[in-house]
Amino acid sequence: MSACLIEVSELSVTAQGAARPELDRFSLSLGAGESVVVLGEAGSGKEALLRVLGGFPEKTEAIAGSIRFGDREARSIAKRPRPAIRTAYLPSPQSKPFVPHASVLSQLSRVVARKLAEPPASAREEIRLALERLKGAPPLSALNHVPSKLDSVTMAWGLLAACLAQTPELVLADHPFADIGPIAVCALLDALAAEQKRLGFALLYATGTLQPVARFAGRVLVIREGRVVEEGNAARLASGHSHAYTRMLFKAMPKLDAERPKTRNVRGQPLLQVHDLDLAPGPRRREGLTFELRRGASLALVGEEGSGRRELAHAVLGLERPPQGRVVFDAVDLGVLSPGMTLRMRRRIAFITGADDALDPRMTLWDTVDEPLRAHLGLSSDLVAGYREAALKRVGLASYDGRRSVASLGAFDRRRLQVARAIVGAPLLAVVDEPLRGMDAFAQTILREVLSDFRTYQGPAFLVITADFTVAQALADDALVFHEGKVVERGAIVDILKAPKHPHTKELIKAVSLPNLSLDAAAG
Amino acid sequence: MSARPSAFGGTLRAIGWIGLGLTAVAVALSDFLARAPAGATGVGPMLEAPSEAHPFGTDLLGRDVLSEALHGLSVTLGDALLATLVAVLLGGLAGAMAARLPNPMSAVLRWLFGVLAAIPALLLAIVIIGLTARDYAALAAGLAAAPFAFVRAFDKVDVKSTHAEYARATGISSTTLLKRDLTYEFRDTLAQTAARALAAVTIILSTLSFLGFGSIPPGRDLGLMIAAAKASYLSAWWTAAFPALALVALILFARLAAGLDEGERA
Repeated sequence: MSACLIEVSELSVTAQGAARPELDRFSLSLGAGESVVVLGEAGSGKEALLRVLGGFPEKTEAIAGSIRFGDREARSIAKRPRPAIRTAYLPSPQSKPFVPHASVLSQLSRVVARKLAEPPASAREEIRLALERLKGAPPLSALNHVPSKLDSVTMAWGLLAACLAQTPELVLADHPFADIGPIAVCALLDALAAEQKRLGFALLYATGTLQPVARFAGRVLVIREGRVVEEGNAARLASGHSHAYTRMLFKAMPKLDAERPKTRNVRGQPLLQVHDLDLAPGPRRREGLTFELRRGASLALVGEEGSGRRELAHAVLGLERPPQGRVVFDAVDLGVLSPGMTLRMRRRIAFITGADDALDPRMTLWDTVDEPLRAHLGLSSDLVAGYREAALKRVGLASYDGRRSVASLGAFDRRRLQVARAIVGAPLLAVVDEPLRGMDAFAQTILREVLSDFRTYQGPAFLVITADFTVAQALADDALVFHEGKVVERGAIVDILKAPKHPHTKELIKAVSLPNLSLDAAAG
Repeated sequence: MSARPSAFGGTLRAIGWIGLGLTAVAVALSDFLARAPAGATGVGPMLEAPSEAHPFGTDLLGRDVLSEALHGLSVTLGDALLATLVAVLLGGLAGAMAARLPNPMSAVLRWLFGVLAAIPALLLAIVIIGLTARDYAALAAGLAAAPFAFVRAFDKVDVKSTHAEYARATGISSTTLLKRDLTYEFRDTLAQTAARALAAVTIILSTLSFLGFGSIPPGRDLGLMIAAAKASYLSAWWTAAFPALALVALILFARLAAGLDEGERA
């Protein structure tokens, strides 16, 4: 290993009023050009570590310990020293790092200009050069839009380019690609790894998933409740001869199972029929999409962002009227209904999404679950309370104070609350849109179980929208694979996994297969 | 959702509410605290400077300025509360409701009230009084302050928020979304909206009275007292300064209670 770049000793971070520290006597030494992946659940202390090293801890946090940059003298972290090395912070687009009313490019240029002490025009040029170096990155002009007009992948490329344009000595990656489809994550991780090799910066990568662990060859720190549980390379940690918590963490990671027995075909009445649907506006260019979903069946629409799967889901929900084709739900053509009647039809469709702002942050936990019951059925308070309690128990939120606001809940709890809200509506169809997006391994496992439980006991048909075949396999039996607005492959997921035909399907499967981590051994 | 106020902002708001509470107590006890009935002339010598017998001095007709200021404050606050009710109901509440109306209707209302809010509220109040009667000054002040409150409440409703789109995707109607706004947003900010409206209508009412369009004698509010002191102000400052001070205190307390956001208009 090359010369020590940063050395942290006995770092403790305690939030105001917290019973236990976020980080507890944490020590870390990082050499120049080295990469370290910090793996753990949400709230394990990874975020606090990056905040302190980046020089922007919370004002109310109590901090103790010392930090040493290169050959300089060790300093007390309690004095909150600014990093004495060029440090770049790489956040996730999901953390909403941009203000809504200015273009992403102008905001990134300002950050780089401030870091490099250069005019914004020079910073813009640096970002352009960085984007050109990154394989698979969009052109600079793609970033010249406000955040609401850009997808997560483009924003992630922009953030990565801005980070590299700062010619950093240390990159602090804070779950940077947590809410992005697996193919794009692979491309971004490859680009980051290639640039690290070229520029020689040290990398501290905080994550809750295995993809970065598989991609970077350096050390992995497994962290839990602010303490390092275990440290080693990825292969050793995945070997099965590791700490019990590490084994549990690796076991919780989603994985594909091509040997899973094929489920019996559901023979119920058709619930959703899509006939000759073409979502592209303008003159007809291709054959329309036709498929059928029976009552109680499940279908995954698998494809990367922008592949057309979300437009299809909107057409199914009756939110957008397709220019061509018909969507029939429960024997009623949604295209001929008035907006009021479409609204009434949607009461039988649950919608569970990976967007963390889907629930009204002002509402209380109880009101969020009660609202569909009161608005749609006008039930008495006793009945509402009964259904609510049962639903909250099913998703594991029954012990929470029902008067808490949604704003005070974490992302994982909000996601479970969405499921509870769906459960009380007794839907015929559940549209599940990237339900596990941005969650750590344990949260993903629990959410998968909560959703499977919902499907098993209440029996709605499931329409799963995802870019991740592990999610598709966990929640659905059949799949349509989307690419560039059309279906390139369809069939039972097990069959697709065994023998994918289309190159894009193969790419999607490869992106979530992690061959260099012997997961089966860890599971055993 | 309204942002959580800082500790300093919270302290200022608390000071505002305490001040408004003390003002209300002073108004409730005005008959006991005042040394003379409202409008009583010859209580003391003409234009006597502040003294032990008359702490705020006397005016041109020998009226005790302290007693008159207390009675004037009572009239001003009474009218202002009525006007605030009008502004909150026709402005704040109607604005929050209009935002959830079907798009063309809400757009027309937003445009109409936006235009009205651009007209100085005082001019609007004078027009309304001209069309009705001077007796309706409180109503006119409330109506004049309503457009700005309407626009403010309308713009606060985020009709395109992700959670509203999500709710519509699950069959929740605009009526239920409006109920949400009224339950959470409007209820939580009602006191703030009312305090802001109180400050605005107090300024309008006092100015109307000062210009001769408001309070009708013998009932005198603070604006009319200041107008009456015009003749003696240069030689006897106390005749106008103390009623003006009472008016400033009332408006300041109301603004503090509403929260002094940076760059905010009354």
